[in-house]
Amino acid sequence: MAKHRGRGIATIEYPTGMNQNGDPSQAWIKVKPDGRIDVFAGTVDIGQGSKTVHTQIVADTIGVPYEWVTMDVSNTDSSPICTGSFASRGTFIGGNAVRFAAEQVRERILEIASKEMEIDAADLEIEDGEVLAKGAPDRKLGLADVAAAATWTHGDLLTGTGAAFKPYSTVDDDTGEVDSEPHAAISYAACVAEVEVDDETGEVRVDKLVQVYDVGRAINPTLVEGQIEGGALMGLGLGLLESSYPYYPSVEHRGEQFGAYLAPMLEDLPDLDNVILEHPSADGPFGAKAIGEMANNAQPPAIMSAIHDALGVWVTEAPATPERVLNAIQERKEPQRDGKRVVYDEEISIAAVSGNRGKGGDGEGFLLPDE
Amino acid sequence: MKAVGARLPRYDGVGHVTGRTRFVDDVRIPGTLWAKALRSPHPHAGITRLDTSKAERRPGVHAVITHEDVPQNVYGHLQALGVPADEPLLAVDDVRYKGQPIAVVAAEDEATALEAVELIEVEFEEREPVLDIRKAFDADVKPFHQWGPAYPHFGPYTSRRIRKGDVDDAFERADVIVQGVYRPQAIEQLPIEPQVGLSVPEPDGRLTIYSCTQAMYFSMGVVAAHLEWPLNKLKFVGGTVGGGFGGKVDTATETITALLALKARRPVKWRWTREEEFLCSSTRAPWHMELADAVTSDGWLLGRKMITLHDAGAYTRFSSYGVTKHSFHHTGAYTIPNLRFDGYVVYTNRSPTSAMRGFGVTSVSFAVEIQMNRIAETLGIDPLELRLKNANRIGDLTANRVRLSDPSTVPVVLAAADRIGYKLAPEFKQMTSEPRSGDLLPDHLLTSVTRGGGAETDGRGA
Repeated sequence: MAKHRGRGIATIEYPTGMNQNGDPSQAWIKVKPDGRIDVFAGTVDIGQGSKTVHTQIVADTIGVPYEWVTMDVSNTDSSPICTGSFASRGTFIGGNAVRFAAEQVRERILEIASKEMEIDAADLEIEDGEVLAKGAPDRKLGLADVAAAATWTHGDLLTGTGAAFKPYSTVDDDTGEVDSEPHAAISYAACVAEVEVDDETGEVRVDKLVQVYDVGRAINPTLVEGQIEGGALMGLGLGLLESSYPYYPSVEHRGEQFGAYLAPMLEDLPDLDNVILEHPSADGPFGAKAIGEMANNAQPPAIMSAIHDALGVWVTEAPATPERVLNAIQERKEPQRDGKRVVYDEEISIAAVSGNRGKGGDGEGFLLPDE
Repeated sequence: MKAVGARLPRYDGVGHVTGRTRFVDDVRIPGTLWAKALRSPHPHAGITRLDTSKAERRPGVHAVITHEDVPQNVYGHLQALGVPADEPLLAVDDVRYKGQPIAVVAAEDEATALEAVELIEVEFEEREPVLDIRKAFDADVKPFHQWGPAYPHFGPYTSRRIRKGDVDDAFERADVIVQGVYRPQAIEQLPIEPQVGLSVPEPDGRLTIYSCTQAMYFSMGVVAAHLEWPLNKLKFVGGTVGGGFGGKVDTATETITALLALKARRPVKWRWTREEEFLCSSTRAPWHMELADAVTSDGWLLGRKMITLHDAGAYTRFSSYGVTKHSFHHTGAYTIPNLRFDGYVVYTNRSPTSAMRGFGVTSVSFAVEIQMNRIAETLGIDPLELRLKNANRIGDLTANRVRLSDPSTVPVVLAAADRIGYKLAPEFKQMTSEPRSGDLLPDHLLTSVTRGGGAETDGRGA
């Protein structure tokens, strides 16, 4: 009857954008007569903060204060297509859409400013809402004046459109080989879990998670940390607590209320040590890669390995409920050894459970494809 | 550079924490009717009788719809990508999961709608459910799905396949083969806001749909397909979601409320109860994965054989997509030259499983990372050094034969080691992601044999 401490590591990777691509995001931007910026896009902010991140990208791409930019993602009449806020595509693909639109708007602003200032557009830049002559920053024109000139002098509308898209990548059904890169980027992460396991109750408490994410570039470090910390709790639920079917594969006795479904609460939150690395991607906005979905992938295996480090037993069915942990302690199963083969978990394999050892499918069987 | 890199607050944050954000359920349109569904009480049954006439006659009821009211009842979420459709919007001859919608009522208020649902006469012929994916191909298990026990449309195959290098040779050459079984469970996306939608017929003949979807254009495409309408007759209003996590990618309420609104000529709102959110909405899929890895005693991963069973529940939805994504990432953050992978989408009589944060890859990360620690234990090798040795490097080839341009396995492992004060041998401490050379470019990464018989380099040298 004792408490045991253990530590486990996991290293993961995760793709940015829909698998095999073919998932457009588009945006358009107009400039008001006073130089303020309206962005229209279809990227739904599901709480991850994509509207904020996209606003930051537009502000810096054009060269205006953040407060000058307004984003509308409210409806399909005014917004062009966005495939959706999933597949960790918001910052990279949605972000590229608004970036490309902002680059066009920037060009249009410089075009009008060039006429007003009688300086070649190539010799102008935009900074903090002002168009400046390169090397002669005292020669400048406020963006409000440029927009006013476009509207009232030139009868022009300053707009830009952006379409981020990577063509569909085809997969060979025989080999799985693709004919082009099937993702926008790949992000990497590592997680170290420190746990305490009670060998009497089977309860596992995660004391600390050290989490390292390479996100290419953190457009908004606070929101990146939000993903890391929210993901940590979600991963903890996956690893230790949650189950839609407590007697899986049975469909009976499902929890149907928050009170009957065990999900992590704030009191379960371990110490979190977050590390953000920034090795920029070639094609993402300002070098960004995705963080969204991967943030709950590394904790479950790190926790399982920490339990093993603590007790010397493996739990490979998630979640590691007290019942599973106690069973593992009691059974102390050793892997089967057969020549150079070391076989864990044989009793839960297809071969052990299936009446015909899993034979079936398209003639190759339903077992590890060598048997 | 001012905004990018700055810790700016989320601009919906104040609205969310002060209760002033307007979510779909906060939208009130005068004259709105409320929807309630008749759902299957059985995981698997034939429908032998369905009569909605008493419900239709109940005062306060304005419309009842069944599959007969849906212009295109069977539509697949990935039909546009060539994945055939298998799921009816409303059940026709049979029900395949507990909670599957059969008919939906629109009435003056929710209580009246619920009473009308009780008046729908329906009879079932209960059937044996299929529940354990490991037994799906057993002789005594009768498949309930028209396509058989598993999704059969991976080109000509019933599984998504990866075939790379010479796996048999790798297993022959291996010093040790480590084999394990990994089974992460289904969990809920658990949004605070359950599924909710409001469809409003406009005087000009258009429909405005207030939606909590994570993907307005995607959901609009699904509604347009069921209605057989052009996109310009629909307007989706959304962009504010009370939690999604993948659970609001499936189009849950939008098409049903649209059909009811058109039939009743009144706005119709459908908000699922917490019970419906738990019992009838999609979950993360349960997975069953078996891995066998051929390794050398000094810790090189020569080859992997893997079989994956993905529990799709009753219909396909995004499962084939998820398994393909899973297959592409089944080597994790490491480079393994010889691979044989089969991934099956297996049908069971539970709510269709669907997208959730990490779709397809959460499962494989779970399996691969425990497996890596088992390999380290079996060989008596440091688990971090095992990872660093086999880490993805620039120029390495992935399972689907893509050359990696900017992998970060090495930096994230080194940063984690540094953070916990972990002692690594100097040659590992100095490691980078740069292309392989010297001891880190062993023969098995220099040449492996392609299926065509040609040679291929899995680790491109510096």
